[in-house]
Amino acid sequence: MIVIDAASPVPPFEQLRAQLARQIHDRTLAVGTRLPTIRRLAADLGLAVNTVGRAYRELEEAGLIETRGAAGSYVSAAGEQARERAGRAAAEYAAVIASIGLDTDEAIRIVRAALTGGTAVSPSA
Amino acid sequence: MTNLEQAGAWLAGHGLAGVEPTPLLAARLAVRRRARLAGDVLLAVFLCGVALAYISDLPHGEGPVRRGPLLALTAMVVALVLAQSLLDRWVRRADRRAAATLPRRAAHPVRLGWRTLLGRPRAALTLATFAGAAALAVRGLTEEVAGARFAAVILLIGLAGVATSMAVQLRHVLTHPTVADDEASLTADVAMRVEDARAVATPSVVWCLPVVSVFSTTAGWWNAAWLVFTVLGVAALALISARTAGTGTVARHATNAPSAG
Repeated sequence: MIVIDAASPVPPFEQLRAQLARQIHDRTLAVGTRLPTIRRLAADLGLAVNTVGRAYRELEEAGLIETRGAAGSYVSAAGEQARERAGRAAAEYAAVIASIGLDTDEAIRIVRAALTGGTAVSPSA
Repeated sequence: MTNLEQAGAWLAGHGLAGVEPTPLLAARLAVRRRARLAGDVLLAVFLCGVALAYISDLPHGEGPVRRGPLLALTAMVVALVLAQSLLDRWVRRADRRAAATLPRRAAHPVRLGWRTLLGRPRAALTLATFAGAAALAVRGLTEEVAGARFAAVILLIGLAGVATSMAVQLRHVLTHPTVADDEASLTADVAMRVEDARAVATPSVVWCLPVVSVFSTTAGWWNAAWLVFTVLGVAALALISARTAGTGTVARHATNAPSAG
C-alpha cells in the first residue's frame, strides 16, 4: 500500500519514491512486478501526473524500475543482481578472513571502515 | 436504515465486519445503489423494447425482415449505451468529490487487473455466454420456420447492445480511480470494485433475451437449445459463485499481497 499525506512536510514525489523504493528493497514488490501507469497512479493518489512521473524517473535512475515503452514500468532485476554480487563479494571476503585468521569483530570493523571511507580502528588501540 | 447503517451491513455482508463504516463509504455505496437500480431499470426497459420490436412484426413474420423495428431497436441500443455511460460518469463524479475531501490518499502499488477484480472463471463464463448466444442466434438465421429469422436478427442486435453496454461498464470498473486513505478503506474500495465487476459481468440479460423472442417461434430444436444453454449458464454461474472466494476475501488478499495484480 502507498499512502500520500498532503499535510506532510515531505514533498509528495519523495513520499511516493521512498515508499516504492522501500517496497522494492524489502521485496514486497517482486522483480518483474508491473507498476501502475503514471496517469493511473496519479489518479489513485490524487497527485499531478508530473509528480508521479518525477518519482518514477528517480526510481529508474536508481535502477529500481525500468520502463519498457508502452508496456509500462516494471520492478527491475538490476537491484536483485546487485544484491547477488554483493553477496558473492562478501563470501570471498569471509574466506580471506578465515584464511588469515582474523576474528569476526575485526573483519566487520574493516568492512565498516571501508564502507564509510574511514580507517579500521583496532580494539587494542 | 441510514446510509451509515447500510454501509455497516454491507461491510459485514462482505466479511469486512472489522472495518468501521465511514460517511465517505456510506455516500459512495449510496450512489452505487442508486446507479445500479437505474442500470437495472434501463436493462428492463431495453428488454421491453426488444419484445416490442419483435411483436411489431409478428403478423409479417414469414415475409422479408422489415427495417422499421430493427432501426428502432438499434436506436435503443445506442440509447442504452449512452445512458449507461452517463450513469458511470455520475458514479465517477461522486467518487471524485469524496476523494477531494481526503487529507491523505492510499493506493495499491500494483495495478489490479481483471483477473483480480473479476476472476478468470467469471470472465470465461461471460465470454462463453455471449459466444454461445451469438452462435445460436446466427444458426437461427438459417431457419426456414416462420418468425425464426426475424427473432434471430432481433436477438443479434439485442446481444450487440448488451455486450457494448457491459464493455462500457467493465471499462469503467477496471479503470476507476481508487478512493481510500488507509488500509481498511482500501480493502473496502477493492471489495466495492470486485462486487461491481461481478455484477456487471453476470450475463443474466443474455439469458433473458431469448424469452422475449425465441420462445414464441415454432422451431422446436431452437427453443430446446436455448433452454439448455440458459440452464447450463445459470448452473455454471451458481457453481462459480459457490467455489470462488467472496468479495471480502478477494479484497483482503489484494490489499495484503500487492504483487498479485
